[in-house]
Amino acid sequence: MGSATGTVPRQALGLARRGLLAGLAITGAIVVFFLFSGHPKWQLLWAFGLLFGYILQRGRFCFASAFRDLFLMGESRVMRGVLAGMAVATPLFTVAMVLLHPTPLPGRYPPEVNVLPLGPHTFLAGVLFALGMTLAGGCISGTLYRIGEGYTASLVALLGVFIGFVLLAFTWGFWWQTSVAYAPLVWFPQPLGYTGGMLLTLGLLGLALLGLLWWEHRHRTPRGGVWAVPSEGEGGQGTPPTLGGQVRTLLGAVFLRPWPVVVAGAALGFLNGVLLLLHRPWGVTGPLYGWMEAVWGRLGVFLVPLPPLMGLDQFGGACNPALAAPRVFGLAHNDMVVLGVVAGSFTAAAIAGEFKVRVPRQRRRYLQSLVGGVLMGYGAALALGCTLGAFFSAIPSLALNGWLFAFGLLGGSFLGARILRKLG
Amino acid sequence: MTTQKVIRVDVRGEICPYPMLRAVEAMTKAQGEEGIEVLTDHPPALLTIPNEAVKRGWDVSIQRLGPSEWKIALTKSRVAEGGQR
Repeated sequence: MGSATGTVPRQALGLARRGLLAGLAITGAIVVFFLFSGHPKWQLLWAFGLLFGYILQRGRFCFASAFRDLFLMGESRVMRGVLAGMAVATPLFTVAMVLLHPTPLPGRYPPEVNVLPLGPHTFLAGVLFALGMTLAGGCISGTLYRIGEGYTASLVALLGVFIGFVLLAFTWGFWWQTSVAYAPLVWFPQPLGYTGGMLLTLGLLGLALLGLLWWEHRHRTPRGGVWAVPSEGEGGQGTPPTLGGQVRTLLGAVFLRPWPVVVAGAALGFLNGVLLLLHRPWGVTGPLYGWMEAVWGRLGVFLVPLPPLMGLDQFGGACNPALAAPRVFGLAHNDMVVLGVVAGSFTAAAIAGEFKVRVPRQRRRYLQSLVGGVLMGYGAALALGCTLGAFFSAIPSLALNGWLFAFGLLGGSFLGARILRKLG
Repeated sequence: MTTQKVIRVDVRGEICPYPMLRAVEAMTKAQGEEGIEVLTDHPPALLTIPNEAVKRGWDVSIQRLGPSEWKIALTKSRVAEGGQR
């Protein structure tokens, strides 16, 4: 129990390493920001990516956990954070849509938000995606933020995502013909009006919360009183009454200790709303798909040309690879969000001393991550968005497709949780 | 000083949600006066493992061992176990 004599130098080394990594991360973030001077959209999306990544890491916010834990443990903690995020985003998204399209014409949908074709493929995509995210131990945003924390298995998962994209590209024709081509777009403000659409969405989110409470009751998950757990690290004494002490405690809560998941979710939802007001909703599938296309194009001499996803120029949303985007240093502006998430998460982890190159002991975790990633890539491309584009940003867009995708996610997570236990 | 048998569960390097699953396995298998020590480097586990432990009637304490490494010590709670699942 007594401290070994080697601990003080070890602690000093640990702090030095932490300071070095944190300094690197912060400096890098600022340098990249100024590298893109004169390109405000790139700077904006880099900044938002950093914030998203930072909050994801601080809040351990992962959609995979939100869905999977419902079935694995009867726990709704992370899902509450997700609901909080969407509840905060919904009024902001509504305001943005009102500003952009005050009187939408019948049959016309705002292309800036994620109103996506609604069909059986939407549900199936959710099932596949959730199966994949459960196996891979994280959704796509979760994978990105874990790359920033140092998880090597997440790199493999991301590789799987690209493979999944390729598989979908070669099979898109089938889905287009059987489902997507006939799929309607269902956007609540047509015919409910903006207020009606927003209230319906908030009402459904409230129902979902009630559903979570019922679910936990059904699983006899105790609440309250379980939080008398000593917090890790700094002692856990009460906050000193001095101003300095209060400030230190607040700084510690933001930078050193984990965030409550509802706070993280609400912050992400808020930022998503602000991002839409300034640009577009948060999404990563589109840019990642674009990277896959770019790489494939480079290798094009050796490989069959990648079929384009037909019909997509009609839709808005996260996945619109038909857009030929201008590039700065080879990067389209949307790419900056993806990079920012990884960098922001790295920054958060570095400051909190949570960055570590993590290598799974069992080789089969790599295979598991790869397969999970392939399923995620396929599902995300099929739905034209992942848990961000087709869910977290789609429900506040007042679009029904978000809800159908969510049901698919529930189904896939249920199956995935079973498989996880069997795999061991 | 009572010597207590300690089950060590080393889940460093494990991906989500295996740290929590392994800890729950150990809690289910533990008998009598055994304590459990979980070694992990997975930040989410610092919340999920204590959560599951307290549900099952265990006391929790977390000690930071180094950059992103923690030891979660679980001991069976002395509080009355009546009615606990």
